[in-house]
Amino acid sequence: MPEQQAPAPQQQMSPEQIKALQEKIKQMSPEELKEFQKKQCIFCQIIAGKVQSRKVYEDDDVIAILDVNPANPGHILIMPREHYSIMPQIPDDEISHIFAVAKALSNSSLRALEVQGSNIIVANGVAAGQRAQHFMAHLIPRKENDGVKFQVPQKTISEEELQATRKILSESLGAKAEETKVVPTLLKMPREKKVVEAKFKEKKQHKKKKPIKNKETKKEKKSGSGESINLDDIAKVLGPG
Amino acid sequence: MKTRESCLICQIVGNKVPSYKVYEDDLILAVVDVNGANPGHCFVIPKNHYPIIEQVPDQELANLFSVANKISSAIFENLKVQGTNIFVANGIPAGQTVAHFMVNVIPRKENDGVNLQWKTKQLTEEEMSTVELKLKEQIQNVGVGKIENVEKPKTILENAEIQPTQSISDDDEEDYISKQMKRIP
Repeated sequence: MPEQQAPAPQQQMSPEQIKALQEKIKQMSPEELKEFQKKQCIFCQIIAGKVQSRKVYEDDDVIAILDVNPANPGHILIMPREHYSIMPQIPDDEISHIFAVAKALSNSSLRALEVQGSNIIVANGVAAGQRAQHFMAHLIPRKENDGVKFQVPQKTISEEELQATRKILSESLGAKAEETKVVPTLLKMPREKKVVEAKFKEKKQHKKKKPIKNKETKKEKKSGSGESINLDDIAKVLGPG
Repeated sequence: MKTRESCLICQIVGNKVPSYKVYEDDLILAVVDVNGANPGHCFVIPKNHYPIIEQVPDQELANLFSVANKISSAIFENLKVQGTNIFVANGIPAGQTVAHFMVNVIPRKENDGVNLQWKTKQLTEEEMSTVELKLKEQIQNVGVGKIENVEKPKTILENAEIQPTQSISDDDEEDYISKQMKRIP
């Protein structure tokens, strides 16, 4: 379905793009068409190589392609090969990998595309702007005055509402941790009481510790690799705080 | 712990500025945004001070997004919303306002005033090819970090510290499981 490929709901694909896509669908074998209809997902077809795309990165689990309707040049869609509709369905290890790829591609676009930043956007649900049925993370390289304007309003949230959402969410997350403990496949992860206690102790120490400034700046300089672009420079422009 | 005294987020991490914490472990903290785009808007931050994503070590990044995902699930299940966005602004042109990397989790409803859409730019096939080649080449140099052991975040939610009376009872867990069953596909 052509509209599934358009990431922005208020915009549609051009008639030529729709036609080109319909043409591709027509040319598919019955088996392919069946599979297509079954999955109803153009991105599974892209991943299977049945629909052409401009791949910038791929491995066993993740594929990254250029968006045909980019917000900016270098706009990338990062997707798991496995079909998931929304992020909460995806296992942790895949999430980690998807965003490790996003980080590497953000880094790559800073180096290769003369941009000074990037946005990473995931939409779960139509109300959030999701158009594709296949989970994807958008990576949008950014420059000054590039015409991309996201509206993230700053609303005044009442004290009661803040307290209420904090309580609901923290309990939900805490309950989740309780729940994962009883899942046998997760038991290999160290979760014994000992570990937890140790972490608490550690944390108390952190509070007492005062940050050692020199050490920290040294470390940060190390972390930015200085090839064609110095990440620290980009970070520094953000100012102190 | 890498901290910067002038950084507001580091002050939140250090409990010098009060916050509404929803999740905490030794490397990660998630709080409700007091000026959120919607009620329940949370941001997930590394406790260490890293201004941009490129500086965040892979393991910490993995846990950040894993926690963001859990918060997204919790929002789906517990707040009456129709969706969530995960939003990262990396660098000033991307709209980053605080020099401490953060992952925003934004609950969404229809017509809530949040807009993360964009106008499509028309690129020629040649321009697309050039971008494709440049990125393909560059990511080979940059490389993708491999995480050997994905460490499932250990919830050390300091309920005791925030609200001494609060604990997670069996009822809550049952409630959670029943909610899990009705979970949105």
